[in-house]
Amino acid sequence: MSGPLPIEVRKLRKVFRQTTSGQSVVAIEELDLRIAPREVVAIVGQTGCGKSTFFDLMIGLERPTSGSIAIGGKTPYGDFDHFRGQMATVFQQDRLLPWRSARDNVKLPLELIGVHEDEQRERAMSWLERLGLGGFTNAYPHELSGGMRQRVAIARAFVLQPAILLADEAFGHLDEVTAAELRETFLALARECGSTAILITHQLEEAIGVGDRIVVFGKSAKLLADIHVARWDKGEYAILREAIQATLQCNEQDSRLIPSERG
Amino acid sequence: MHPEGLREAGLDGTLSRQTVLSLLIFAVAWEVMSHFAPALGIPAFAIPSLVRIGQSLMTIAPVDVIVTLARVIGALLLSFVLGLALAIAMYRSPTLESYLHPMIRLFMAVPVVSWILFAVLWFRGVEFRIAFVLVAVCGPVFLVDSLDAMRGVSRELRGMMRSFRPTTLQYFTKLMLPAILPSLITSWKINLSLAIRVVTIAELVGAVTGIGHQLAVAQELFSVADVFAWTLVLVVLLFLLEAVIARVERRMLRWRT
Repeated sequence: MSGPLPIEVRKLRKVFRQTTSGQSVVAIEELDLRIAPREVVAIVGQTGCGKSTFFDLMIGLERPTSGSIAIGGKTPYGDFDHFRGQMATVFQQDRLLPWRSARDNVKLPLELIGVHEDEQRERAMSWLERLGLGGFTNAYPHELSGGMRQRVAIARAFVLQPAILLADEAFGHLDEVTAAELRETFLALARECGSTAILITHQLEEAIGVGDRIVVFGKSAKLLADIHVARWDKGEYAILREAIQATLQCNEQDSRLIPSERG
Repeated sequence: MHPEGLREAGLDGTLSRQTVLSLLIFAVAWEVMSHFAPALGIPAFAIPSLVRIGQSLMTIAPVDVIVTLARVIGALLLSFVLGLALAIAMYRSPTLESYLHPMIRLFMAVPVVSWILFAVLWFRGVEFRIAFVLVAVCGPVFLVDSLDAMRGVSRELRGMMRSFRPTTLQYFTKLMLPAILPSLITSWKINLSLAIRVVTIAELVGAVTGIGHQLAVAQELFSVADVFAWTLVLVVLLFLLEAVIARVERRMLRWRT
């Protein structure tokens, strides 16, 4: 992997034209955001607030209508191939290839960057063992439980030891115990790999539990709040959660509702 | 052949009681009819006895079976490669698709007999004529099935794959082709039975070798026994080829079980 990379989002705007009506829909109005190298940022917001569009723009699957995203000075859309092997994603559904075994799914990103076959196998096995799936390397996705499949998906992301790690509602569909366990694993691995991570979620517990920072999106990804979790005591998390909830409910309210800089 | 393959083809000796009984009834009815045909005013050669058909089967030259088989497999492989290549090109280029799609629909609407007549009128070489007819008939089936299957690959899997930034070749070899494999195998099954029938008609019209040609000879000689024997060979050949595909399917799609 390359060194840790900062992310700089400037005046980002994304407008979609609806194919049926021809009307324009503003998914992201104007977003400014800076994320430091190795920082883990949780983005929260209500359904339809532009979180997933932001995720697609971060991956480089969508082109910004205006404004820019720069990761270490390069843009994920314009310099798409530059990020091969540097960026990894974990999605809401595991999105494993059903015809590949757990090991072969984890190997996939290494195959794409041309890692030697022996090393691919070794690294895939090692990551599966770390995620507690050492005994299931040859199992096909349909033979695994939802939690196990998501572990494989996490192993597939971390096998690259990526500079940038993106997760979109990665634990939202799992039961609370499995989700909490995987969140912890995810965070520990992200720290170990030194990845700059963005975790998109609608669950406040998840955002507070994982993020160094919590960025709260309102409608059209309007930045409602930017909270440094480390500046809050654990005992204040309940207040923080309530404040974020209130912000989301008000939506249009000023971000000053929550003190984003403390201390 | 693998026992499972034989079972699929119904040739492993484990045919159901009903199947055996119905075949037996047909054989007995045929034999009875062959004996009573002259009394009913039907010429004796029109319904030959099972012994006579058996004698015809014994005289069948394997070379004609091999020639027909080679033509079918060769043309199917060519149709598959061309159909898949065009489908990939059309998937990648909507402009190309918008121009080619009407043409493909037109090709698919042309009757097999017309293709055979075009081949006889346009080309000289027998092999080229047969290959042309088979590719014209089977190629579009492979193309349309492949294209539909590629469009059916889930948006989620495509997004996941693209997020890892594969090259175009990797995108197709690691995602698209494995994802559409079940549809491709189904296409092979459909095209196989189609090709066997088409090649027989094509050989009937213009070839000097192959099962179709032997059927034409049998018809000229008014030998119903030979026609029956060659037809039986064709049917068994189709069952065997289907069994081979079924075995390939089980092996390649074992992840589904």
